[in-house]
Amino acid sequence: MMPKGYINDMGAVSLEQTSEQLLGDGAKTLIVNFADVQYINTIGISIFTGMVQKTQEHNSVLYFTNLKKIHRDVFELVGLTKYIKVFNDEEDALQSLKRKEIDVK
Amino acid sequence: MSSKKLDLKRLMFSMTSLVDLGQEATSSKDLFAKMKAALYVITGMFSVPTAALFVYQPQRKRLLLFVEKGRRDRERREIGLPLQTKHIKQFRMNDPHTVRDMAASSFFVRNKEVFSSLQTAIFLPLFAKGDFVGAIALGRKLGGASFRQGEKDVLRVIAHQMAITLHNARLFLEVARRAAENKKLYSSMQQIYQDTIQAFATAIDAKDEYTKEHSYRVASYAVAVARELGWKKKDIEGLYIAGLLHDIGKIIIDVKVINKGATLSYPEMTEIRKHPQISHDILSKIKFPWKNIENFVLHHHERLDGKGYPNALKDAELSDGVKILALVDAFDAMTSDRPYREKLPIGEALQEVIRCRGTQFDAKITSSFFNVLRKELNGEVKEPHFLPHLQNMDMSKFKALSSSSTM
Repeated sequence: MMPKGYINDMGAVSLEQTSEQLLGDGAKTLIVNFADVQYINTIGISIFTGMVQKTQEHNSVLYFTNLKKIHRDVFELVGLTKYIKVFNDEEDALQSLKRKEIDVK
Repeated sequence: MSSKKLDLKRLMFSMTSLVDLGQEATSSKDLFAKMKAALYVITGMFSVPTAALFVYQPQRKRLLLFVEKGRRDRERREIGLPLQTKHIKQFRMNDPHTVRDMAASSFFVRNKEVFSSLQTAIFLPLFAKGDFVGAIALGRKLGGASFRQGEKDVLRVIAHQMAITLHNARLFLEVARRAAENKKLYSSMQQIYQDTIQAFATAIDAKDEYTKEHSYRVASYAVAVARELGWKKKDIEGLYIAGLLHDIGKIIIDVKVINKGATLSYPEMTEIRKHPQISHDILSKIKFPWKNIENFVLHHHERLDGKGYPNALKDAELSDGVKILALVDAFDAMTSDRPYREKLPIGEALQEVIRCRGTQFDAKITSSFFNVLRKELNGEVKEPHFLPHLQNMDMSKFKALSSSSTM
């Protein structure tokens, strides 16, 4: 998923709905790329909190990539980073996924 | 990160979150959208995936689930938590109650299923100006950590803000409800008013067996002419009512005189000529929302040349409303069967109108009257007022007349 711009209103609820749908379809890993996100407020945090809960319910994992420092700090402050994996970029996230697959094999 | 620095960051976060909450709570969105966004702000502040906001319905003694986030088993049915006054008295105003605080309360026990579906950790009763207005049920935090004292303090601030928002919305809804109720009442009174007037008109026409529905036709013709003259809607309504009621005085006149076939004697003529005054006296007892109704009915038998009754007024003393009624009343009398003669052919009736122009009828009103007829005949009017009542008449006479006349 690659949200854009401001995640600060109820329009962003679609992110939560999309993730719910993907998890329902059997996705085991959700990657959210924050490269194009400029601003996140508490509504945005609420949406990501919901996404964390949904991934936990489905025994899946949530990866965040390309986070700006300010957003990473906020996620850390509210405790979200305990339940997600943060990567510098999508490449790193995908590498980690591959390693995980090898480990499983 | 040092604990001081972390506390400062937490404080900053709480402050900006409260600003977000203020913006959402005071936005111009509708109450549902506003409250939903506010609930998202609150859940975001505390990393809580599940929460709900309830509004208190005092008449039904329950908390109605208004907006929610993250609840499992989201069935569509309405969710209401019954509660009694004693429960409200037990709540500490705008103070977060933990599940442990609430465990013994019969309110909590009775509604345990809903609280458990919301994974409730905190119950926040909302009070504004001492009135209980609703509550927020806040779920467990991600990871299950308990709420710190600082967070509970922030929840108190949130409760105040949300309570005031709900309270204001309730006041607004109450005003809107009363306005809607008044509007309904007004329209039902208006309907009763209209029905009463219609009933009177029917009573008048029922007495005169030859002129059934005369009042309806006069009212309808008068409206068409007034509209042609560019009258305002409200004034047209008044003229319509005057048209319906102009002969109400006939209710008191002896039915034998009204329906007498032969020429009337002088005393009978005097008797029947009393009806405009009687109409006026009856209607002047009613406080109509329209102007001049009594005046219109009193003078509808006056003439420009002063030979009418009851006051033998002349041209300048007569209002346009009176002049319209006088013309359409006479026109309908001519085109209806009367006790003493059959109805006139349309051509003759119109010739008579032209002949009496300047003596009995006003020239401007006559001209508008002919314009309406012409437009209706040419199909220029969506809902004709005259034609439906003149169907059995030979309108070719009118066509010939209107093309040769100098209307």
